Amino acid sequence: MKASLPMVARALSGPRLKQGVIALGIVIAVSSPAFAQVELSGSYSIRMYEDYIERGPGSFMGDFTGMPMSDEGRAKALLYTSNLPSMIERQCLAQSPWVGQYRPLGLRIWSEVDDGRVVAWVIAGDYLRGTITIWMDGRPHPSPNAWHPPSGFSTGHWEGDTLVVRTTHVKTAWIRRGVGIPGSDKSEFTVLITRHENLLTITTIQDDPIYLTEPHVVSRVWEFDPNGSQAPNNRSTCNVGNEIPALEDTGKVPHYLPGANPEEDYMVKHYNVPKDAAMGHAYTLYPEYRKMLRGSYTPPTSCDRYCCGWIERQGLPGAAPSLTCNDGNLPRALRDALTNQR
Amino acid sequence: MSAARAFVVLAIACLVLCPAGVRAQRRGGGPPAGPPASPRAAAPIDLTGQWVAIISEDWRWRMITPPKGDIVSIPLNLQGQQTAEAWDPAKDEAAGEQCKAYGAPGLMRGPIRMRISWADDNTLKVETDYGMQTRLLQFASAGTSPARSWQGTTSAQWLIKGGGRGSQRYGSLKTITTNLRPGYLRKNGVPYSERAVFTEFWDMHTLPNGDRYLVNTNVVEDPVYLQLPFETAIHYRLERDTSRWDPTPCDARF
Repeated sequence: MKASLPMVARALSGPRLKQGVIALGIVIAVSSPAFAQVELSGSYSIRMYEDYIERGPGSFMGDFTGMPMSDEGRAKALLYTSNLPSMIERQCLAQSPWVGQYRPLGLRIWSEVDDGRVVAWVIAGDYLRGTITIWMDGRPHPSPNAWHPPSGFSTGHWEGDTLVVRTTHVKTAWIRRGVGIPGSDKSEFTVLITRHENLLTITTIQDDPIYLTEPHVVSRVWEFDPNGSQAPNNRSTCNVGNEIPALEDTGKVPHYLPGANPEEDYMVKHYNVPKDAAMGHAYTLYPEYRKMLRGSYTPPTSCDRYCCGWIERQGLPGAAPSLTCNDGNLPRALRDALTNQR
Repeated sequence: MSAARAFVVLAIACLVLCPAGVRAQRRGGGPPAGPPASPRAAAPIDLTGQWVAIISEDWRWRMITPPKGDIVSIPLNLQGQQTAEAWDPAKDEAAGEQCKAYGAPGLMRGPIRMRISWADDNTLKVETDYGMQTRLLQFASAGTSPARSWQGTTSAQWLIKGGGRGSQRYGSLKTITTNLRPGYLRKNGVPYSERAVFTEFWDMHTLPNGDRYLVNTNVVEDPVYLQLPFETAIHYRLERDTSRWDPTPCDARF
């Protein structure tokens, strides 16, 4: 015969019953499925072991490799000059949600808690325009006609140990870093945030019906930093200022005319990269493209710029004494000084 | 509320909320009677199918062969850099080592398609068309270590979450590869040694539109050629059209 719960309860008396209640409460407290499946809070250090040049010194002009751009996106990107971000009204265009995927600094993540429940995760980092708040309380996304704030609007849910985020309501922006690849305000992001041991992986999948022909996928790794040493780098504002006084109040917008960008062939000339790959056609992202290059691609005879970037990061000496590295970027005096230090 | 009523309420709450594992432990500290499910039957995610690498990162270093000495991004130490500077593909060809860039740590960053299938209940098989390589991810011990190889010896384990009281099971795969022949992290001779340990976390995600992505977060640790662990994430998309599978042999130059 099975004992019913009330029977069990009656069988227990006074102090025992209280002990049982307390014990059951503890069991429930420690074993109930948590709303957050993984504790993400903390500081994370950057690991720039992919796309170092883009994330460090910045991409070469005319380098759209790895991008699935539409003709509109390519045309707009080729109008870009390095003077364009100097205009006050365009200085923050490079700062949009998830741009930290292409930048060189760390992250800080914390939770917003209401009555014991995580209602939002907040990510601050090298985004320069506020934090990204990921709402976990089930609220819907606003109307498509609602205001697009600088950080967009994000909601999230857990799938196992992965926080799945959807970001909408972003502003028009430059994506990637420093070469004018555009992202429209129609962009939507699916973001997968997974932590395995001390490694945090953020994968962004960007859909943009205007400037991309297929989702643009990027996955990056950060490492948990218990010392929080990345905190000083977690800037959260984009400060604007007039950088080219001669342009002020003139109505001039720095740009190249269509077909007149002198950097359009930079990757072809310097790295023998085929033009269609440099210009970000989606079909160049897949293995079959490589086979098309067999017999026609010849590697450059030597590496002449940013060849050992990880070592020369921040202009500091690497941990490899006596290394002769063809950095091609550091001023001679600084290079000699660093060599002497080693 | 009386203490008796509180007990009943808490007990019911525990039945609803406690994970199956907790209740199983109360019943006797282990899984239900009977043989444990095989790794294949216990798989929390289905990794099988044909996956294609999307080369949206490090395009110039993954899709094409960079020039000798281009070691950017990789935390080599001095010995590693000197070794990379000495890269000579003709020498590799003469030694019959055209596949040095196709060992597991280099292979996974390559422009690959891979087919994942179950070789048996304890072994996931990963085949690539790029270099025609085969990795075996073994959930059970392989026993004695075989000779070193490009793909080494890989141990695998599921990291499983959820599944209690009919809730959805989630999980990922963790693999550790050792026993590697010395090879290249990059086609232009950036080296790893036979002491390298290659750790991978395999996560699969299905988007609302049905697209499936595999994200491989991995770490190469090598006391011989690296100053620090080389940590990256690589992403792949599941292909339903498998017609682009195109096996090609190893090539030391292109």
